[in-house]
Amino acid sequence: MMKLRWAGRVALTGYFWAFVVFLFAPLAVLVVFAFNQSMTPTLPITGWTTHWFHQAFSDTELTGALLRSIGIGAATGLFATALGIIASIGLNARRLRLRALVVAVLLLPLVVPYISLAVGLLVLLNQLGLRISLWAVFLGHVVITLPFAVLVIFPRLRSLDPAMIEAARDLGSNELTAFNLVTLPLLVPSLVSSFLICFITSFDEFAIASFLAPPGQPTFPVFLYTGSRAPGLLPELIAIGSLIVVGSLVVIAIAEGGRRWAERRLRGITAGEAESAAPQDVPALQI
Amino acid sequence: MGGEIQLVALAKRFGSVTAVDAVDLTIPQGEFFSLLGPSGCGKTTTLRMIAGFEQPTSGQVLLDGADMAGTPPNKRNVNTVFQSYALFPHMKVFDNVAYGLRRGHVGRADIKRRVGEVLEQVQLSTLASRKPAQLSGGQQQRVALARALVLKPAVLLLDEPLGSLDAKLRRQLQVELKALQEQVGITFLYVTHDQEEAITMSDRIAIMNHGHVEQAATPREMYEEPATAFVADFLGVSNLMDAQAAGTSGGAVTLDLGSGIAVEARGGDVSARGAVKVVIRPERVTIEQAGVTGPNRIPAMVTRSIYLGNGVRVITHLATGHSLTVLVPSMGNDTPATWEPGESVTCHLPASAMRVLPLDSGAADVQPVPAT
Repeated sequence: MMKLRWAGRVALTGYFWAFVVFLFAPLAVLVVFAFNQSMTPTLPITGWTTHWFHQAFSDTELTGALLRSIGIGAATGLFATALGIIASIGLNARRLRLRALVVAVLLLPLVVPYISLAVGLLVLLNQLGLRISLWAVFLGHVVITLPFAVLVIFPRLRSLDPAMIEAARDLGSNELTAFNLVTLPLLVPSLVSSFLICFITSFDEFAIASFLAPPGQPTFPVFLYTGSRAPGLLPELIAIGSLIVVGSLVVIAIAEGGRRWAERRLRGITAGEAESAAPQDVPALQI
Repeated sequence: MGGEIQLVALAKRFGSVTAVDAVDLTIPQGEFFSLLGPSGCGKTTTLRMIAGFEQPTSGQVLLDGADMAGTPPNKRNVNTVFQSYALFPHMKVFDNVAYGLRRGHVGRADIKRRVGEVLEQVQLSTLASRKPAQLSGGQQQRVALARALVLKPAVLLLDEPLGSLDAKLRRQLQVELKALQEQVGITFLYVTHDQEEAITMSDRIAIMNHGHVEQAATPREMYEEPATAFVADFLGVSNLMDAQAAGTSGGAVTLDLGSGIAVEARGGDVSARGAVKVVIRPERVTIEQAGVTGPNRIPAMVTRSIYLGNGVRVITHLATGHSLTVLVPSMGNDTPATWEPGESVTCHLPASAMRVLPLDSGAADVQPVPAT
């Protein structure tokens, strides 16, 4: 019996570390080879350099693609989050006709392959006589990120005590003021989460962008894909890739820190008191 | 300052469910009035229609004579203390209380003064810069009260405001609430399912059941002279028995309780005939030795006795087949500590303490609502 338990423990520990290696090894490799002197990412490493970073940032095609993706990602994040608030308010209504259908339609993009959506959008644009453009990419990204926004914002909205809004109305606010002064501030943590998730999803998206981004204006994933087939570009791409990994970690750390700070503010607790404070059910990232 | 509420044939239906059914009530200015009833009786829906959160299906809410139909909650001179308090968690106590004043475009200095005053009144001056989550339940309750009172409404609506507090704190706050109401002098409409709470605080009470008002009266009238069996049963412990009213003589009605035992009753509807209910409060019954005979005396057997400290509750089984609860107040060592189960006794039900009530009719076909 004891022996079995010991074996189980070893197996579980082994599984855990295998999982970690599997998950992080590619990222670690990326960061290591970003500083590799050689043109080809192979071992042994012959020397260390920051040359590829300099070269990457002086490559206007690469930085252009990066800025394009950041721009589209930010716009997508803002727009999808705004739409997500509106959709969540609708879903939270006491009476909603065909609620199940509305939910299904809102969440449909989650199960439609992006590639199908991309082809569909392309055909639609052609039929409307419009040309592919970064706007089309933006619209496609809003479509695919809206479900994420709803999934993050709606549970938070539903967890708010409806009596709070009634209290605001009771104390002299019209519906809009009550929303702005009570609902919206309490939604902020979920809005930040929604923005970040939508931003990352858009930033990372390849299929739609590859169909709809006009020639000469690739988004970053499209640029990476085409560039990775040109061997001379590879070290630059590795350098930028490693920067993005580190950047993502920083963004996540800041977002999590911000969320905790917001929650502490909500509970009115200064950092030192946080430990002794009564536990309270404030939902974290609700996805 | 006003504050008179009139409800005229007020009704609310949710789909096929009738939550409030033709309620007529007049609550004069400055009264502490309670709506009392079990959950689902329509008391909270009634309150929400007065506040403006629900629109009546038919009937009217009049505030100082003005019909409130179509007036949104933010335009009514009525404020609410919610069961969940509904404090704004992202605002300090001060800002919670100042919320309504700011919406009313009161000057900065005035806001500071008035919030200060009302916080003083509810003894929260020192906690003005805390967030609601840092307060105890009782303190949160006071903030909710202060937030509503600071606007000097004509009517304060309270929806089970003490419901989530522990018993001891609740008693303390009952006294404070009543004192506060007398001090500010505005109309309080208080919704509760706790009969003790309603009795201790209210000038008048309306007991609701299945969407309609069973009786509206002072606590004393309500307790001493319940109009219906439901009221008698809901307010305090009562003994309710089925009986047949046989005939009246000299202001007393003769009731056949079954098994050939008849008693007289002088209270309630003494002119009733046929099937009726008769009610007697446990403290009005006296226990005598077995074998004592006389009018309104019924042989009984003790089934249980429970020592309560200030008295003994004895549950007896009458020869008529009814179960009868008797409350014997403690008189020091003279009172027997207990009655043994199985002991034979005689119960004396004085005619003056017996009230004849009509059988409930019509109430049962109204569907209860799941939530008030």
